[in-house]
Amino acid sequence: MKPTLGKKIEPYVWLLPSIVLMAIFVIFPICIVFKLAFSEVTKAGIVGGFVGFRNFKEAIGLPAFKQVMINTFWWVISVVGLSTIIGFIIALVLNQKFKGRKIARSIIVFPWATSLVVQASVWNYIIKYEYGNLNNILLNLGIIKEAINWRSSFQVEFVWECWVGIFVTIPFVAFCVLSGLQSIDTSLYKAADIDGASFWDKLFHITIPLVKPSLTVSTVLNIIYVFNSFPIIFTMTKGAPANKTDTLITYLYMLNFYDRQKGPATALSVIGFVILCICAGIYMIAVMRKEDAE
Amino acid sequence: MINDINTKKTNRTALLLVIAALILAFIFMCLPAYNFDVIIYSQKSLNTTIGDANYSAALAEVQKEQKRLEAEGYTSTINETLYERTKKSGEVSSTVTFTLNSTVQKSMLAFLGTGLASSYVLLAIILFMILSIACLAAGLIGSSDELWSRLNGKAKTFRTMAVALLLVACLLVPVFYMTNTYALSREIYLYGANLIDQAGSAEFYQKIDYLLFDGTAGNNITDFIAGMKFSSTLWGWLTLPCVFAMLIGAMQIRHGNIKHALLKLLLYAFIIVICVLTLYPYYVMLVTGFRSSAETNDMYFLHIFPTKWIFQNIKSIIDRGVLGYLKNSLLIAGGATVIALICGIPAAYSLARMRYKGRKAFLGFVIMSQMFSPVVLLIGISQLMSTLNLNDSIIGLMLINAAFNQAFAIWLLRGTFISISPEMEQAGRIDGCTTLGSLWHILLPMAAPGIVTTLIFIFINAWNEYTISTVLISTATNRPITVGITQFSSFNMIEWQYLFAASLLATIPVVILFMCIEKHLADGLTSGGVKG
Repeated sequence: MKPTLGKKIEPYVWLLPSIVLMAIFVIFPICIVFKLAFSEVTKAGIVGGFVGFRNFKEAIGLPAFKQVMINTFWWVISVVGLSTIIGFIIALVLNQKFKGRKIARSIIVFPWATSLVVQASVWNYIIKYEYGNLNNILLNLGIIKEAINWRSSFQVEFVWECWVGIFVTIPFVAFCVLSGLQSIDTSLYKAADIDGASFWDKLFHITIPLVKPSLTVSTVLNIIYVFNSFPIIFTMTKGAPANKTDTLITYLYMLNFYDRQKGPATALSVIGFVILCICAGIYMIAVMRKEDAE
Repeated sequence: MINDINTKKTNRTALLLVIAALILAFIFMCLPAYNFDVIIYSQKSLNTTIGDANYSAALAEVQKEQKRLEAEGYTSTINETLYERTKKSGEVSSTVTFTLNSTVQKSMLAFLGTGLASSYVLLAIILFMILSIACLAAGLIGSSDELWSRLNGKAKTFRTMAVALLLVACLLVPVFYMTNTYALSREIYLYGANLIDQAGSAEFYQKIDYLLFDGTAGNNITDFIAGMKFSSTLWGWLTLPCVFAMLIGAMQIRHGNIKHALLKLLLYAFIIVICVLTLYPYYVMLVTGFRSSAETNDMYFLHIFPTKWIFQNIKSIIDRGVLGYLKNSLLIAGGATVIALICGIPAAYSLARMRYKGRKAFLGFVIMSQMFSPVVLLIGISQLMSTLNLNDSIIGLMLINAAFNQAFAIWLLRGTFISISPEMEQAGRIDGCTTLGSLWHILLPMAAPGIVTTLIFIFINAWNEYTISTVLISTATNRPITVGITQFSSFNMIEWQYLFAASLLATIPVVILFMCIEKHLADGLTSGGVKG
């Protein structure tokens, strides 16, 4: 018996609202960005004809471009790398049984639920030289004798921004790994104990291989979130001085909405988009592999 | 039985070690913990320059005083400062101030009974240490007669108490130093500069006098400690490892196995450090949000807690429109959640229950769309919104937040639906329900926990969204709270107290919501989308 036409199109009717919503607000902006990137755009935003790769050439030729790309690279690598390592350790600890575990879990999740603007503003205040809370506490403890300037140069400021990035990313990693850890069959550990395996043996031969899928998913998602992260840098330094602490995302924002260089800004958008698509591709492969494994 | 005797033996050794550590701690407490560089005598000599007759006379007097003080046990050095001033008439007047500087060493125990805040902390440390020994001893007593055997029944409680007491004592040692630094440098500065009401200052100076000069300085105390420098020595800090050693001994007795006990201690130490670090920014937010404007900007006013909690700050930010921003955020996040679920539930349902062409492709697209944070598409979105005439509107933000959270909605909901067996729905359908009917009456109630998780997660995402709102919203009254709080931090003036009071209002509700779903969320995010 052939299914009727109604039956055939039914699933697509179910999908329709979702497809329409995403088509308008996700696909369409992508098309606009691509169109603008290859067109002549005036400062007022009037779109002219097709200009090929001229916007891209202009974008790459901008004096800050190299610094911005280097920053973006370090930003992603340091934030994702360190938050993954620390988050993994926290997940291992939270997976142990101890009193107050529930409370610890609830506390550690706080930064995940807090707006990045709020976090960035608080840290901005904490590391102030003249009256910041960090200096105050260290002085009160007698650890330092006089106030330290925590933001003496743009490199140091960038390190602080990375720290805030790590700080807010840790809960996400910790909880992804934790859910992976909790799905591991405890009988494996019991068997290993009988065989006389040490803590490190168990870590490297049972734990890590088994949480690898969750770790991959969280790492790739993190790369994407961190790459896209805007509020931390925008709140703490606005890229100052002279775009030296900008990442690609904050830089293209400044370029488009402050400097009104719309052509190069859209070109940078496309570059960012392509980088994200490559990450997304890797992610898809990882996810599909996990699906096959299950 | 032999095993039992062995345990008792190790326990007794551990107890002896704990007592030894206590004695060592007391020895360190008697050694100098602080060096105070103070002025013990000062004498101003008017109309004097170095070398003249007035000078020699004054110097002789000072030297006499120095000898007298030396007899009392204070060794000191003579310092002189010359102060010259040219009067309007051209005449030069000069003054020499002689001071006798001395280094006064005080041990930790010297603080006891001074009435300074730190003296109470120290008292608590000592009491806790002694009490813990008592607890340990009570926990180790044999069961020969009735009273002892009744005590023995509580042995475990006693041992646990001993560990807890020592843990607190450990934490109190840094607190002792902190209260000292706070009292001695901040308060002396504040009283000296007349920044705090004078009522408490006389009493405070009396306490300091009692500590440093055994109460002999009297009214001169303010001159004596002006410009005082002080530093802590190693001896006092060595108390900390002693208390720590006591703690480890107590843990050995409590747990029976030292390796196990140490690991447990390490675990708790790690958890506490992480939790304290995580809560630190929230603490800063809380205390700064209720400080006065002057306090937020002055190093010397920054106490651990506000000198006065200013709840007026909340009223001030409400007057500046924060309630309106909160209402906007509620509208945007609520609207986005509703739209995302209305579109997401059917899609997730069909992806979980039906087989059709393009299913995998759509799923792939959904996963991909999670990559496109709105920020990289910001330029496209702002262009699109002006075409749709949704610039600067709350509805526009609702739709965008809904669209960019579709991935999460479908991802989390599909996982929930798959985990529910389809048999119930099939049974419902046999009873005559339509597909829609069985979805509504059977599946959705069963999937309620998953749906609530998704709902809260999307709500929080939309509530915390900042970037798109800054670009799209230009009218002040349409701002969501995340954009609204930035009005308190303009380029040249940041009103920290208002910024953080508003941040608190923006943060507390979502953090509480998030704590409710935290457990389900991580599972949903890593597995929900890829199962099946």
